[in-house]
Amino acid sequence: MTNLASSPKFKTFAIAFSIVGAVLYVCCDLFGWPLFSFHPGTNRVELGYGPPRLNEGPVMYWYGWVLTTLIGASVAGLLATLLPENTTKNVPLFLLWLLPLVAVPILFYSLMPFWTK
Amino acid sequence: MDFSVFDYISVNTFWTIFLIIHGLLAIALLGALTHQAASVLFPVHRPAGDFVARFRAVPGVGYATAVCVLWVLTFIMGAFIYTKYRIYIRIPIERAGYWKTQGVFDLKEHLVTIGLVLLPAYWYLWKNANAPAYASARKWLTVVLAVFCWFGFLVGHVVNNVRGFGS
Repeated sequence: MTNLASSPKFKTFAIAFSIVGAVLYVCCDLFGWPLFSFHPGTNRVELGYGPPRLNEGPVMYWYGWVLTTLIGASVAGLLATLLPENTTKNVPLFLLWLLPLVAVPILFYSLMPFWTK
Repeated sequence: MDFSVFDYISVNTFWTIFLIIHGLLAIALLGALTHQAASVLFPVHRPAGDFVARFRAVPGVGYATAVCVLWVLTFIMGAFIYTKYRIYIRIPIERAGYWKTQGVFDLKEHLVTIGLVLLPAYWYLWKNANAPAYASARKWLTVVLAVFCWFGFLVGHVVNNVRGFGS
């Protein structure tokens, strides 16, 4: 664990993972990018976006969004470790807390049907 | 011989047990993150005296790994019970017209997921707590995670009051 904490490669991976992950999750919610869809009433799993089916109850996309985000952020993090250290050093660290805060009103807006019913 | 847990406990009890575990993990996470956020927002520079000062005087670095583990465990437990929630809790909530309750629950689901992806950077920044270059990012990232955690905890509590697994 100590080695990980002092590794510049891990630093690059962690920062890229967190920044890209936060942005990607918001995109998943806004644009509907689930890696899979889950029908909890029938335990049916569909690859990608699956619309609700007649008499099968609701569909859940959140699991698919989480997987899309985790895989996408991991790939971004790994790719970032391949870049020269000077490039990644210039990424402003305030993005780590600012982007999640910016995401809040966007996600709130995406839930507008719940606030206006 | 076929063993089924439901021969011994009801379906409601089964899911309620996992909901309680989810809640207990969330309480532990909330405590750790609140201590840590207080320690970075209002650092104590001399030996702590009263309760409030002692609350703020914790060495935040010692909480980082625990916070990550607790966040992940709480998240996994929440994701596990979420399927039952979707059928047995959410549908009745929607039928009763509690749309705002449902909306804040969905917002909670979004914020805890964003919190999850922030953990690697959070852990790295805390494990390098001696680096002044990371101080500001570490402080505000910790505060954001604490706020998200409080929001998730309170919303979960309210939703469970509106309709729990045993309802």
